Amino acid sequence: MVGDANPMTNINYETTPVGELPEDPQRLHERLNEIWGNPRGLKALTIVNHTTLGLRFMVTGMVFFLFGGMLAMLIRSQLALPDQDFMSPDIYNQVTTMHGTVMMFLFAIPILEGLAIYMIPKMIGARDLVCPRLTALGYWCYLFGGIILTFSLVLEMAPDSGWFMYTPLSSSEYSPGLGSDFWLLGITFVEISALSAGVELVVSILRTRTQGMALHKMPLFAWYILAMAMMIVVGFPPLILGSVLLELERAVGMPFFDVAGGGDPILWQHLFWLFGHPEVYIIFLPGAGIVSTLIPVFAGRPIVGYGWAVFAILTTGFISFGLWVHHMFTVGIPQLSLAFFSAASMMVAIPTGIQVFVWLATLWLGKPKMKLPMLWIVGFLVIFVCGGLTGVMLALVPFDWQVHDTHFVVAHMHYVLVGGMFFPLIAGLYYWLPLFSGRMPSETIGKWGFWLVFIGFNTTFLVMHWTGLLGMPRRVYTYEAGTGWEIFNLISSVGGFITSVGIAMVLLDIALHFRFGKPAKHNPWNSDSLEWANNMPPLPYNFVSLPTVETRHPLWDSPDLPRTMMEGRHGLAIATHGRREMWGTDPITGKLREIIHLPGNSWWPLFAALALAVVCLSLLTRLYPLAGVAVVVAVIFLLRWSWENGAHPNAAPDARVEPGDPPLHSRTMDGPGLWAMAIALLANGSFFLSYLFGWFYLWTVSPEWRMPETSPLSLVGLIVAGLALTAGAGLLEKLVRGLRRQHDAGLAVGMYSISALGFVQVAITLWVLFNANLAVTETTHDAVIMVGLAYVLLHGGLGAILTLLQGLRVGYGYVGAHAPFEPVVIAQWWRYSVVTFWIIVGSLAVLPRVIGG
Amino acid sequence: MRATMERLHFTHPIHFIIGLTLWSGWFVTVYGGHALACEVALPEPEQGVFTLINATLLVISLLAAALLAWLTWGCWQVTKRHQGRLRFNAWLSTGLYFFSTLGVVFAAMPIVGIPPCL
Repeated sequence: MVGDANPMTNINYETTPVGELPEDPQRLHERLNEIWGNPRGLKALTIVNHTTLGLRFMVTGMVFFLFGGMLAMLIRSQLALPDQDFMSPDIYNQVTTMHGTVMMFLFAIPILEGLAIYMIPKMIGARDLVCPRLTALGYWCYLFGGIILTFSLVLEMAPDSGWFMYTPLSSSEYSPGLGSDFWLLGITFVEISALSAGVELVVSILRTRTQGMALHKMPLFAWYILAMAMMIVVGFPPLILGSVLLELERAVGMPFFDVAGGGDPILWQHLFWLFGHPEVYIIFLPGAGIVSTLIPVFAGRPIVGYGWAVFAILTTGFISFGLWVHHMFTVGIPQLSLAFFSAASMMVAIPTGIQVFVWLATLWLGKPKMKLPMLWIVGFLVIFVCGGLTGVMLALVPFDWQVHDTHFVVAHMHYVLVGGMFFPLIAGLYYWLPLFSGRMPSETIGKWGFWLVFIGFNTTFLVMHWTGLLGMPRRVYTYEAGTGWEIFNLISSVGGFITSVGIAMVLLDIALHFRFGKPAKHNPWNSDSLEWANNMPPLPYNFVSLPTVETRHPLWDSPDLPRTMMEGRHGLAIATHGRREMWGTDPITGKLREIIHLPGNSWWPLFAALALAVVCLSLLTRLYPLAGVAVVVAVIFLLRWSWENGAHPNAAPDARVEPGDPPLHSRTMDGPGLWAMAIALLANGSFFLSYLFGWFYLWTVSPEWRMPETSPLSLVGLIVAGLALTAGAGLLEKLVRGLRRQHDAGLAVGMYSISALGFVQVAITLWVLFNANLAVTETTHDAVIMVGLAYVLLHGGLGAILTLLQGLRVGYGYVGAHAPFEPVVIAQWWRYSVVTFWIIVGSLAVLPRVIGG
Repeated sequence: MRATMERLHFTHPIHFIIGLTLWSGWFVTVYGGHALACEVALPEPEQGVFTLINATLLVISLLAAALLAWLTWGCWQVTKRHQGRLRFNAWLSTGLYFFSTLGVVFAAMPIVGIPPCL
């Protein structure tokens, strides 16, 4: 086998032992199938497998894409000729708002996350994502949130304030209907999905790569998805906070964005774009990841400058958070601040440029084959580079002032997003189509599709730059004849319909290939990455055995790897224990650390999502008592879900492993749950920092902000509450230290005591809140304080409940010295709660006393 | 100096994010500090760029750039002593520190030419 390896080989066969053939590979496969296989019928709703859920995400995303595309065609029909009244102004506003909203929130992010959910475990040699039930919850939240949001259009009640929902246009005074509520509640619901996927993708990439796959050896696609997922984790919470605040303002009258009460509508813009600009890169990075995966395959050589690409990914991930104000150049910010953001906006072109040169160099030094996926990659390069250049133009403040809110910006945005996301996505879909179905697409129909989309897109949007430079504003439902915009709009509309025909050809090709496509040979594109070691279509458990991989190109360096993996000659080729298992490895070196056991199919994610859907609908219809009940039900479902973990009979009651294998993760002090909690707290921290930003921003900038002479909050009460919380956290740390020494005497009593301290904090904080007599509908100051206290109450309360459950689990024997994992996870929550509590006390109760209004 | 560099473990991947995190911290400090300063201590327009605000922002920027430049140099020294994974990590961190240094210098340049609160 070593002799068969090609000259690029550097796979280490000493560390990739090809074991003895198991007694009966077929029997092993059947047993694995019994453990991992998907149920049929109604029970298909319980599936948690990443392959199935990744496909569901992608198919649902494509349905929403078609919906958003039809809205785009309505817009182009209206604008094709001047003075059209095909749609009324009100309907036009709903259609444009929903087009942007659907494409951004219901198509672009979910379909890319779906691709990542489907592909990442296969590429890193794992059997599933690390939190399968979370994948399922994410899908159901996405589906229900998407249906609720799109249904608003059927009711002619859709949001109509633009996809960025600027206040005060979206506030109740100017948008008294339910449109804004549909947007705020529906999008927040969908964002649960995005955050769920973000958290588990980060943890999966860091902790479940197959043995030996060190950080610097993992596929570039995994780097891109790691960056994207981290950006979702940090970038989405500001919008969630903004949405919560705006919905509170609309529903209850808490004046966060109302100047008269002490608020500021510009705060919404900051919170929205703190999310909104990273969002562009959240969409672009997976697209670039597809490009970096495909170009080496079709060039027939490793990528030039792997390290440079990683450098570019990391710099893009960070710098993109420093650009948000470039969407706000016209709102009246001091020139020096504008210059900071202008400079940062230009800087982000550097990592993007590096990637373009990495791709070009790879093509230059390889022997590119212009197969169908490569056509879309070339289309990407042309369109995205043009979009990037107009982006640099827009980073220049004076130019931005000239074209702000014109069709030039619309054209730029579509060049970046369609070029940077849609073209790579279709390239990726064509590339991985044989993996999905085992069949090849038609090159002829596919090429027709590509050229129609490419020509149609440029006809629409290249011309739209001129329309914008001639001064046509965005989001106007019609225009008068004689403005000089007529011919350009007509050309754009014709281009739009050509694009639609092209997309129809692509969909036709994909639909026909399932029936008429040629059966694909194994690894049809001669790819280098592990996903092609799978069956086509893939097995529910991906791989019979998990190999050691110490190269970036496992299938080029070891073409026999798929066969030996399938024969069960590598790690974890066992199914007699009945558990869903895969490797847990060191995030840096890829060395084995533990066996991660995963939960099986479950109703809980669906039930929890249904309860959350009831919350969303009852808030929409102002049935607040029902919303309260549904929240409690959702929490009960989620806690019941968390009950089936660790040593629970439905999880891994039997901790025995094969001789020489590492222990189960639930029998260690480390494991994916610990990492998932840490990443979730990172998202939580982003939410909290956004809240603090809002507090200090309003305090500093808001023109009518009113700080009372004396703080309404009892400092003594808050300090006593904080001490109770801190004591609870300290006691928990002591118990965890004991568990590290295999000492669990008094564990249950300790947990109950900690829980009691948590409830003490909640009770005292509630007392402080009631005694403050906050006028939350009259002053922004009081409304912001209310949100801050609600935040610490929620954290204290949840911490107390989780610790109470830990006490119960000790009694059941699910937690103890033999299974010490869960208290370590809960301790992180308590640490976080303590830190945020004292910061809240300092910000809301101490600082106003020290420096006054 | 060498002992300090050893303690910093420049071959650890945590350095992939420290430089850019410092850049982000500097950026938020300068942007937020500038906004705050304009609220509480508005300078006279005729002062032009010769204000306490510009001077303070410039000093903060120079300190940030100096720290990042030192980290770049330290990482680069370590790069030369390793091979394989450790070299990759240190090399990548060097590049990221260098980019962060240039990022501070480039984005801070307006401080020397634009009055603060116009």
